Amino acid sequence: MALVAVRELRAERRQPDGVVAAVTFIAVLVLLESLVVGPQIARDPDVASALFWLALAFATILATMRSFDRELEDDALEGLVALPGGRDALFGGKVLSLTIVLLLVAVVGGVLSLVLLDLRIALPLHLLVVVLLGVLALPPIVVVDVVLALRLRARAALVPILALPVLVPQLVAATRGTSAALSGDAVGALSWAGLLFAFAVVYTVIGLTIVPAAIE
Amino acid sequence: MHMRTTRPIIRTVLSGASLHDATVVLDDRVILRSVNLIVGPGLTLVRGPNGSGKTTLLRALAGLLPLARGDRKASGDVLYIGHRPMLLRGLTARENLEFFVRFRGGDTRGIDGALRAWGVGEEMDRPVERLSAGERRRAALARVETERVPLLLLDEPFADLDEAGATRLRQTIARAREDGRVVVIATHAHPELDDLAKTRIAIDDGAATAA
Repeated sequence: MALVAVRELRAERRQPDGVVAAVTFIAVLVLLESLVVGPQIARDPDVASALFWLALAFATILATMRSFDRELEDDALEGLVALPGGRDALFGGKVLSLTIVLLLVAVVGGVLSLVLLDLRIALPLHLLVVVLLGVLALPPIVVVDVVLALRLRARAALVPILALPVLVPQLVAATRGTSAALSGDAVGALSWAGLLFAFAVVYTVIGLTIVPAAIE
Repeated sequence: MHMRTTRPIIRTVLSGASLHDATVVLDDRVILRSVNLIVGPGLTLVRGPNGSGKTTLLRALAGLLPLARGDRKASGDVLYIGHRPMLLRGLTARENLEFFVRFRGGDTRGIDGALRAWGVGEEMDRPVERLSAGERRRAALARVETERVPLLLLDEPFADLDEAGATRLRQTIARAREDGRVVVIATHAHPELDDLAKTRIAIDDGAATAA
């Protein structure tokens, strides 16, 4: 699993299309947010959190699809799957590498939000926990959706349609948790963080079960 | 009494693969029809016209396709190299081969030598997307030497190779055969391989017969 993740991160370093697309997307969205809704509303913890997580959800889809597009070029995916244990390592490796990429995107998006929207953080440590667990919870289900749509020509349109309804509970939990951490509600932030952890565990187990069979 | 052996493990393990009554259906089309096949050490050639099911047969042997009916057995690890080089873009040839070897728990020290022997020594640290099709093919075929697995499945391995590459591949096939490895090659050309082959299989419209 770690080998697959390292392979993925090395390829992403040389061809950073996924990271660049995801970072650009989140940066543009944060910038537009303050222009479209105005500085007062944009600074509202609920609004700022919701837009941050929506942007991160789309960034996850972008980065995951780019990662699998690269695998499909020259049939690299088949080379991995043909290895003994390759199918099992694929899911874990992809989730691990995408989590690292998304942490980077979240840091950029978070810093931009803080600077451009002039946000005040009441509970920085709680916010860190919520963001970490929120980022952990995103890739597993998106990787499952991308694998399910892998051989479809219309996968660029289908993946968001498949992924977003499933992501709604996670987005709600991440938004509420972030908003609670920004506004000083420690109990609320930790409760939502616990839910995000549960989502991460459940979708990881589902992915580990489904992906090796689905990749066939 | 225990006897110690210094011979490589690929000689001591009787390797092979088989398909029994294997039927493969893709997109509602029957691609392989009730194929019964046993491949053992030595070279097995799979011949047939375009679209006859050669690739599907190799992929079924590699366990890359679900069988609609029948079963597959393989003893020992399989190295399958398909139509395309199966190397990840963004990584160099060396990094790709290191990944495959490490994944199998092997020794990476032979990679540079193998890539040099295949004529991609100068290019081994360039990302594979900057290599020519022939260089990518050579780098992929170097896996035969770096991953010492007993069962080799090569699909049209001569594609994109120049004469020097083709000669190198023929030598590699001969050596693998002498080492007692199972080598299955799907190709519609290269009649010179007939002399090396222990078994020849003709495939047409998904049905395989001994040739």
